[in-house]
Amino acid sequence: MKGVVFVELLAMAEDAFGEDVVDAVIDKADLAHGGAYTAVGNYPCAELVKIVDAFSDHSGLSPDLLQRKFGHWMMGFFAQHYPAFFENKSSSFEMLEAVDQEIHVEVLKLYPDAELPRFETDRTGEGQLQMVYSSPRPLVSFCHGLIEACVERFDETAEIAIEATPAQNNSTTFRIDITGR
Amino acid sequence: MASEQDDRVSRSRYEREKAARKEAEALLEGKSRELFLANQSLSQQSEILERTVTERTSELRIALDKAEAASAMRARFIATMSHEIRTPLGGLLGMIDLMYGDETDPARRELLEYAKTSGDALKRIVNDVLDFSKMEAGAFQFENEKVDIRALIGGVLALAAASMPDGESRLRSSISPTVPPIFAGDATRIRQVLSNLVSNAARYSADGQIELRAFASEHEKGALLRVEIEDQGIGISAEQQKNLFKDFTQVPNKLTSAAQGTGLGLAISRRIIEGADGRIGVFSEPGVGSTFWFELPVEVLEACPPSKGEGKARLRDVKARVEGARILLAEDNKINQKLLLTFLKRMNVSAELAENGREAVEKFAPGKYDLVLMDVAMPEMDGLEATRIIRDSWPAEKIPPIVVLTAHVLDAIHEDSARVGIDRVLSKPITFGDLRDAISEELGAHGNPDHHTPRQFGARPAIFAHLSNPILEGLIESMSENEVIALVEEFVIDARRLLAAITANLRRGESEAAAAEAHALKGMSGLIGALGVSELAGQLEQSAAYLDADSIEEVIDALSGQVDTLDRALSASIE
Ligand code: HEM
Repeated sequence: MKGVVFVELLAMAEDAFGEDVVDAVIDKADLAHGGAYTAVGNYPCAELVKIVDAFSDHSGLSPDLLQRKFGHWMMGFFAQHYPAFFENKSSSFEMLEAVDQEIHVEVLKLYPDAELPRFETDRTGEGQLQMVYSSPRPLVSFCHGLIEACVERFDETAEIAIEATPAQNNSTTFRIDITGR
Repeated sequence: MASEQDDRVSRSRYEREKAARKEAEALLEGKSRELFLANQSLSQQSEILERTVTERTSELRIALDKAEAASAMRARFIATMSHEIRTPLGGLLGMIDLMYGDETDPARRELLEYAKTSGDALKRIVNDVLDFSKMEAGAFQFENEKVDIRALIGGVLALAAASMPDGESRLRSSISPTVPPIFAGDATRIRQVLSNLVSNAARYSADGQIELRAFASEHEKGALLRVEIEDQGIGISAEQQKNLFKDFTQVPNKLTSAAQGTGLGLAISRRIIEGADGRIGVFSEPGVGSTFWFELPVEVLEACPPSKGEGKARLRDVKARVEGARILLAEDNKINQKLLLTFLKRMNVSAELAENGREAVEKFAPGKYDLVLMDVAMPEMDGLEATRIIRDSWPAEKIPPIVVLTAHVLDAIHEDSARVGIDRVLSKPITFGDLRDAISEELGAHGNPDHHTPRQFGARPAIFAHLSNPILEGLIESMSENEVIALVEEFVIDARRLLAAITANLRRGESEAAAAEAHALKGMSGLIGALGVSELAGQLEQSAAYLDADSIEEVIDALSGQVDTLDRALSASIE
């Protein structure tokens, strides 16, 4: 997993809980690198999960909620650092549909070692998008957060239902229903 | 919660940031090293690639040069060989002609006819191979001259008709008024393609009509000429059509195995047409017939006149076109004068005679003549000189076509002629048909079709057996039998006089004068078709300077013998 994800996760934690809390949590968490991350490095995804769990322990917030919040945070980060991906899109659906075949494709060109999920999208009706997320990594809630934030970014509101995709391991189906724009 | 107020960071945070920075630096170092190495191997690879490309290119160039040199050498060899074969073959065919003329036994005459057919076939093959090898050697250049396709087609069909039984009735042509009267192109090459396609049509169909059609449509270059030649022959299967225009292919022909050629004719035609940016092709149905066609973009030099309905060009257009033309004939030799003037009279041409080049220059004025016929070897001023003076004295557009007549077979004459601005060279002996076609093509104008009745032959006078057949036919086409006999009589008298003069000059050691007289004798005898005399006179002309007295005596005796034979045959004819 790209170091930038770790750096941003800690940045979010500092923003939410303050530096001292972050220092304390990291010291306690017994992390391989002593919790030192650089954006240009690569680290195991399990470590990310460990950090989220540690903050969950400390704050009493569930790991899923923390991942979702992190998804919101990362969407802000992407929008700030990679505005080009957003400029030519006029709705959240267009953006979501572009992740698999456009955005992540570009990501992979820059970082051949990036570990990216796969998405299959399908417009099932007026204002409805079904998005099947497949990844060996346990980041469903992170993805949920990214989608929620994406909808907000295009000034839309939506109901998002999540269910495991029966026939496929490591797959989760998001049903996004636009309720307002 | 130590630092709510003070700005200092904790020790552990500091250590963490330091560790992170170190790692980042190490990573960056590693990356830049990787980059450097990647760069190095890239430039190495591109160097290797470049070297390989250069090596391959030079290897290829060497191989190509070798292949080109080999093929050029092969082509040159074939060209030389064909040329070397052509010369003796010409002699052989001439001799067969002579023997045929002298032979009275029908069985032997038949044998000689076979020999002639085979010889003609061989000549065609050698010509094809020579042409083809010229193309291979790249020595094939397209001329850009004025082409009158109507006259050209007329000439091709007239020739084809002469060489096939009932040709006149089997050959038909229609030329659309959309076809421009004059365009720029290579007349010789177009004629070659046309006659190849027409003779193919004749060879592959025993009977039935052969129709030649020509149209033109618009094209960015001027006009797109399309010519179709349709026969009702054996046809060509789809399978055979695929290979038809390739080199050395042939459609098996059950009609006549003697008609086989090299299989180069269509390949040559294809190269000619494609070389001039055109296309050539065929549709055909076995058992029904074939239509060969070609399309040629041409630059129009003289546009079509506003059309007055569909104009039909016939073989006899050639004849009609010539009628009424005003021609200046420069010729010093009395027999040639008589012969050519008779030819011209038969063509209904109004001809004026100039006795030599100087007189031709004096008589010439713009607008006075439609064409000039000029002998090359004339006293006082020769034909080339006269042409040069005419060309220098008048603007080009005021000068009608100038056609030169010569007994020289040398290429040098053609080069000289081109230099002084001669439009066409005709080699003596000239037949009536050749002369008429040449005049027609050069005049390149339209005429009114008129009617042509083929001449009937009666019992032949004895003297005719001693004259070359094609030339005799040409003569008979333009004059009565009695006129031909009178012409030969005059020839015999002239020949005797010349022989005496040659002998006298040789005795006096004036070999140059003797050679000139021998040349005159050769030309005269060629004209009336006395090829035996012509051949010997030619030998004499060439060798007068260095033959010893005995050999000269021998040749002169042989010549006198020939003239005596003609004289005897004449007496028999007159009785
Ligand atoms: C709505 C839009 C997006 C969605 C839903 C999405 C989803 C995801 C998810 C779920 C992951 C985690 C990896 C995994 O689950 O296997 C991920 C990773 C990542 N995404 Fe996206 N993404 C989106 C937009 C973007 C954009 C705009 C960028 C900008 C460059 C981006 C860059 C990345 C990067 C760099 C990673 C980390 C790869 C690694 O850790 O090796 N994504 N994305």
